[in-house]
Amino acid sequence: MRGNSRRPRLSPSSPGVKTRRFCTHGRQRECVKQRVEIHKLRQGENLILGFSIGGGIDQDPSQNPFSEDKTDKGIYVTRVSEGGPAEIAGLQIGDKIMQVNGWDMTMVTHDQARKRLTKRSEEVVRLLVTRQSLQKAVQQSMLS
Amino acid sequence: MIAENPGTSPWRLLKESQSRPASILVMEDCNMHSAASILASVKEQEARFERLTRALEQERRHVALQLERAQQPGVGSGGVGSGQPLSMAWQQLVLQEQSPGSQASLVAMPEAPEVLEETVTVEEDPGTPTSHVSIVTSEDGTTRRTETKVTKTVKTVTTRTVRQVPVGPDGLPLLDGGPLLGPFADGPLDRHFLLRGGGPAATLSRAYLSSGGTFPDSPEPHEVPNYGSLSRGLGVRPPRGGPLGPGPGDGCFTLPGHRETFPVGPEPVLPAGRSQPERFQAEPYGLEDDTRSLAADDEGGADLQPDCGTTARRRPDCGRGLRTRACEDGADDGGELREERPLFPAATAPLAQPERGSLGSLDRAVRRSPSVDSARKEPRWRDPELPEVLAMLRHPVDPVKANAAAYLQHLCFENEGIKRRVRQLRGLPLLVALLDHPRAEVRRRACGALRNLSYGRDTDNKAAIRDCGGVPALVRLLRAARDNEVRELVTGTLWNLSSYEPLKMVIIDHGLQTLTHEVIVPHSGWEREPNEDSKPRDAEWTTVFKNTSGCLRNVSSDGAEARRRLRECEGLVDALLHALQSAVGRKDTDNKSVENCVCIMRNLSYHVHKEVPGAERYQEADPGPPGSAAGPQRRRRDDASCFGGKKAKGKKDGEMDRNFDTLDLPKRTEAAKGFELLYQPEVVRLYLSLLTESRNFNTLEAAAGALQNLSAGSWMWATYIRATVRKERGLPVLVELLQSETDKVVRAVAIALRNLSLDRRNKDLIGSYAMAELVRNVRSAQAQLRPGARLEEDTVVAVLNTIHEIVSDSLDNARSLLQAHGVPALVALGAASQSVREAKAASHVLQTLWSYKDLRGALQKEGWTKARFQSAAANAKGAKGTPSPGGFDDSTLPLGDKSLEGEKPGSRDVLPMEALGPDGYSTVDRRERRARGSDPAGGSSEKEPLKTEPSRKAPPPGPSRPAVRLVDAVGDSKPQPVDSWV
Repeated sequence: MRGNSRRPRLSPSSPGVKTRRFCTHGRQRECVKQRVEIHKLRQGENLILGFSIGGGIDQDPSQNPFSEDKTDKGIYVTRVSEGGPAEIAGLQIGDKIMQVNGWDMTMVTHDQARKRLTKRSEEVVRLLVTRQSLQKAVQQSMLS
Repeated sequence: MIAENPGTSPWRLLKESQSRPASILVMEDCNMHSAASILASVKEQEARFERLTRALEQERRHVALQLERAQQPGVGSGGVGSGQPLSMAWQQLVLQEQSPGSQASLVAMPEAPEVLEETVTVEEDPGTPTSHVSIVTSEDGTTRRTETKVTKTVKTVTTRTVRQVPVGPDGLPLLDGGPLLGPFADGPLDRHFLLRGGGPAATLSRAYLSSGGTFPDSPEPHEVPNYGSLSRGLGVRPPRGGPLGPGPGDGCFTLPGHRETFPVGPEPVLPAGRSQPERFQAEPYGLEDDTRSLAADDEGGADLQPDCGTTARRRPDCGRGLRTRACEDGADDGGELREERPLFPAATAPLAQPERGSLGSLDRAVRRSPSVDSARKEPRWRDPELPEVLAMLRHPVDPVKANAAAYLQHLCFENEGIKRRVRQLRGLPLLVALLDHPRAEVRRRACGALRNLSYGRDTDNKAAIRDCGGVPALVRLLRAARDNEVRELVTGTLWNLSSYEPLKMVIIDHGLQTLTHEVIVPHSGWEREPNEDSKPRDAEWTTVFKNTSGCLRNVSSDGAEARRRLRECEGLVDALLHALQSAVGRKDTDNKSVENCVCIMRNLSYHVHKEVPGAERYQEADPGPPGSAAGPQRRRRDDASCFGGKKAKGKKDGEMDRNFDTLDLPKRTEAAKGFELLYQPEVVRLYLSLLTESRNFNTLEAAAGALQNLSAGSWMWATYIRATVRKERGLPVLVELLQSETDKVVRAVAIALRNLSLDRRNKDLIGSYAMAELVRNVRSAQAQLRPGARLEEDTVVAVLNTIHEIVSDSLDNARSLLQAHGVPALVALGAASQSVREAKAASHVLQTLWSYKDLRGALQKEGWTKARFQSAAANAKGAKGTPSPGGFDDSTLPLGDKSLEGEKPGSRDVLPMEALGPDGYSTVDRRERRARGSDPAGGSSEKEPLKTEPSRKAPPPGPSRPAVRLVDAVGDSKPQPVDSWV
């Protein structure tokens, strides 16, 4: 009866996954990251990305359900709207956003991150994200 | 559950009720005076009242002095004699003065209690007006500040007088230190004398008065204004007198008692060596001692002033032209009181026994000579009888009505007997009629009384309120009232009323729209046209909201029609959902308002698949979702507005869902609204959040019950809900709650799991992960020896039925049951249980188990025989016949349902899962009644204390924690506090 896997498993074929050393602010850490390119959707006057973010250096990091390190004040993807641009682009809940169009997102306030993501002049947002599941998958594959 | 008077203690109530009259006065006088002067005089009055209270206190302590004096006529007369010339003059003065003085004291006395709670600061500034600032902290936490200006001059004069007349001014201790307003004090004192000492007392009192009379010497600059205030005070007397009850409520309660004890107690207070006149004098002034500010003599003087302020000030005038002055006074009074005076006669009329009644006696006493007056004064301290109070409700003077109602509220507090009598005396229609009174104060008081009267298990009062049109009147008041306190009172009353079955529909008929639109919607933060750009408003957990949601919670349990009305009430469901989401978002899920909201939601979810308009379209046969496409935007919006960070958790494993979820959630062309929201899969996340976060077991139960209700039934939405619970990782949450130590939570969760297991995947998951926990519950069901630990029969049966449901048609699950050592537990339960239903349910599970031929080998290996299973079943069947006449043998239906149906014939037609349905909604109701009964004394509407006993969720789980395995990582983490859509 446990026929189906209940655990979220990243399909290995997931496109655009690259492994490389990534350095976040002094702390040497191995991260697996992925580039996500989101084309904003025009909704009325607004351009939307279709996801929501949480975290930031002005937020309580211990409340972040997605971070492994509970002192991590990074920006995380907290929700992704179904069928929205972010989902289409492959962004997932729990992804940690490292960069937005080249801007560092690991040491910004919540609002700064939001503003960076919602620039009206930019139709396309390129994110550099990292996610635990990715890391685990990679680690496992390396172990086995 | 049942709202009662918010003022938790009667004293507070009183205080409140008494604090009002002052403001009433203001209003009345407003008609004739400039605002400024009125304000000034009112302030002064308040200060005076305050002083009076203290004076009373003091008096109490020092009555002994008087007594002693009274018992020594010689001394008394001597004292008088010594001041003979003066006293003669003063006697006249006294005659004139006495009335105002006593009046004043009468008027003031009622205030005493209030004053007791005030903080008084006296600032002394010689040469300049002294301001007395009193700060009254009222019940609701607001602070009222009043300031009274008094001139220092007057003060000084007073003091001097005091010292003069008595013998040794300085020799007197503190008692003297606190100078006193003779007139005020003498009211009560006189009385005392007369009672105790007889003749001498009379003289004494006169002497005393005369001594007080020295005041006149001092020129009184402030005379006029003061005077004015006094007369106003007098004018008010009727109102006051009427409710004297209330005001006195306090005064009466304490004073009479004290009085009686005086003769004995106070004696020691007197220093034996004192000369009598001195003592005598001391008393009046000594009264003030009590006040903290009076510690210093000077201050005493200051204080004194305001007390006797009016009287004393008036004295001077009298001193010069006694009679005339007095007359003028009278005239002035008349002028001022014009409005009120004429009412006096009428005022007395309603009193059942005017001669004893406060009002009547007061009135008369005022015009009497001091001695007679004092003799007559005693009765006025009596509490008004209930009939009198009720009569006062019809009093033509509004403040009387208000105060009478307030007093009534006080009387009814936690006193079922009085409540009953009020009803028998036909008091309820009077109060209800006052709800439409033009005066806000009267309305408020009446409503307060009604709230207390409507509280309690005695339903007759509720019925009586209904019978005289109370519900529409309350609703009208709610609609008109802008004052928050009134709204709290009205909604509290409605909450009380709503616990009475026959009233539920009445409340729905008259009040549903108003309650929803006046309270629920605005307080929930929900906006009909949400502004996409602005942050959604949070719900405000006000008392009004709590009361109203409690009321709706009660009425929502009234049955199908009630549910229909509530569901179709525009904005209600939307607002409730919004409020709950806001609660989850703010992690404020333990309060009563949330509990009420969840309970309403749960009740409204009951039978939703049958009762909702157009439900037929969604019956399982037609799984096709209506509409399609256009999903993203709508979904996005829903997400944004509805579910806080919580959702993120569920969604994290979105991929997983996609992997094996074959069920397409319906896409809608437009956002769901109104009752549709009840059963949209989105609500699952909300309930799960509540189940995860709340520590209020009523909320937990209701949230589980809501899921239970939603996952029941054979319509499309139930299918979606079942799948959504799984996808939102709700199963582990529920399984974890099986460990709750609150019985009803376990029950609701068990039934919910059972309904959820109608979904095949759920069944597999529950079978593998919840089985251990379920079996543990079965085992603990046998722990009869420890009374508290045993689960209730309903719960055990629910758990057994869930197990049965899970093992039916699932060999794997049956195997899990075996592995969880369920067989011994079931057999033992079947054999040992006193409950037929339990035994039957257990045997049914065993039977099912035996029906798996693949398992027989394993079972036999463990030493079980077929007989064991069969016999258990047979036994159960044999026993069962009686309690549940239902067609129990029908093996296609899980037996548990049947038994439950047998228990609740009303729900027979219900689908299996809802056979448990009584839980689906009636629990709420039942619980209310229980709560009401068990807590008759509660003073607040918080009838059900949120027992914050850490439910078993909190403590670490046992070693074999299925829940943990069901969720990975994310399980216990909390949602982001802030998150923004981009």
